[in-house]
Amino acid sequence: MKKILFSFSVAMVLVFSLLASGVMADSHMAKVRVVHASPDAPAVDVYVNGDLTLEEVPFKADSGYMDVPAGTHDVEVFASGTEYAAGEGVLQADLAVEAGKAYTVVAANLLESIEFVVAEDSMEVTDGKTKVRVGHLSPDAPAVDVGVIGGDALFSGAEFPGITDYAELDAGTYDLEIRLPDGTQVLPLEGTELAANTVYSVFAVNTVDSLEVIALVDYEAAESPDGMPTTGLGTPDQSQAMWLLLGGAVVLIGVSSLVWRKRFQQ
Amino acid sequence: MGFALDEPVSVRVPQTTPAENPINGLKRTGIKPSSLKIPAIDVEAQIQHLGVTENGEMAVPNNIEDVSWFSPGYEPGENGRSVIAGHVDGVDGPAIFWDLAKLQLGDEVVIQGEEKTLTFKIHTMESVPLDLADVTKVFGYTSSPELVMITCSGTYDFERGTREERLIVYASLIEE
Repeated sequence: MKKILFSFSVAMVLVFSLLASGVMADSHMAKVRVVHASPDAPAVDVYVNGDLTLEEVPFKADSGYMDVPAGTHDVEVFASGTEYAAGEGVLQADLAVEAGKAYTVVAANLLESIEFVVAEDSMEVTDGKTKVRVGHLSPDAPAVDVGVIGGDALFSGAEFPGITDYAELDAGTYDLEIRLPDGTQVLPLEGTELAANTVYSVFAVNTVDSLEVIALVDYEAAESPDGMPTTGLGTPDQSQAMWLLLGGAVVLIGVSSLVWRKRFQQ
Repeated sequence: MGFALDEPVSVRVPQTTPAENPINGLKRTGIKPSSLKIPAIDVEAQIQHLGVTENGEMAVPNNIEDVSWFSPGYEPGENGRSVIAGHVDGVDGPAIFWDLAKLQLGDEVVIQGEEKTLTFKIHTMESVPLDLADVTKVFGYTSSPELVMITCSGTYDFERGTREERLIVYASLIEE
């Protein structure tokens, strides 16, 4: 049994940057991804600090992680194609992110009461294990449990709008289901393969009559070295100098032959 | 200093039909890379699979023709940054990545493995002082497959026995 902590808060949160694809080595960066989970909202454009950062994001789509500077940022959502005007968006928040952390920012609920749901994502998993959490992002669905069919609940009492803590499990295949606390099945997820060294988010979205699930990978573990490679075998300045000298010699020879030719022509 | 390609972030729309379990098939499988081609600077190299040196640095080939893939990290084609390093020069002159700095944003890098061939497009280039290089980030996780190429740049520091900077080239997978 895993206790649930909801992150209702729009309080914390987010950022993006102009450096959408940028990487610019600098350890003061956070990771942020955006998910469109408002079932009746049109595709949206997302502006960060007044700059168009994501375009035409449809329902159920996610941006993948973007590298963004740590700090507080003005995030505003517009119906796709709408001209930007500060403060005129369907959704706005000043979102703060910390360096070295990763966040998921969901535009949730029906359009008339659209809201941000923000969660901090895990970027670690015990070697050989798998980690998963669920999000209840279906505006009119009741509280649900997620668990093994005919077995224990992994998450219980998940309510809209909330994202649970992670549960760390043995990697493997699980016959899961979303069910009401009385055991009535809402959505089967049989044969769910949860891979080792991988962190997942599974979000229930859309209205209750057409409930569906979107799944995201938050992290996959791999090793990294302690230091950058040493990628010069010689003493480069000297060899470069040698190449420069060689180049210079060629030029000199070229020039002198020109001079000779001129002389001969005279 | 560095340059980044100014392209919008592409969003992903789930492709699974309702009948499929949307959690399965999320992970991408990579390849064990065997050779690298960079047509723009006429580079072709065999790829050695190496880990770390005794002092914990990413290991590099002990010749100037080959490049090395950091095999304990992400595979090319998997989500995450797969890292390949090559020498800029050897004792007698230029090595395999001598011309890496001449690459331009948008140039392509082809990685061949037994299973398939993957093409990556360069989106960011930067030269970073060695002490400021963020190793965790360069070798870190990304939500899509990336390829990183590293070589030495800057002036030679005789005391440390290496150049002062690292040229880091980031590329993203071109989807088939």
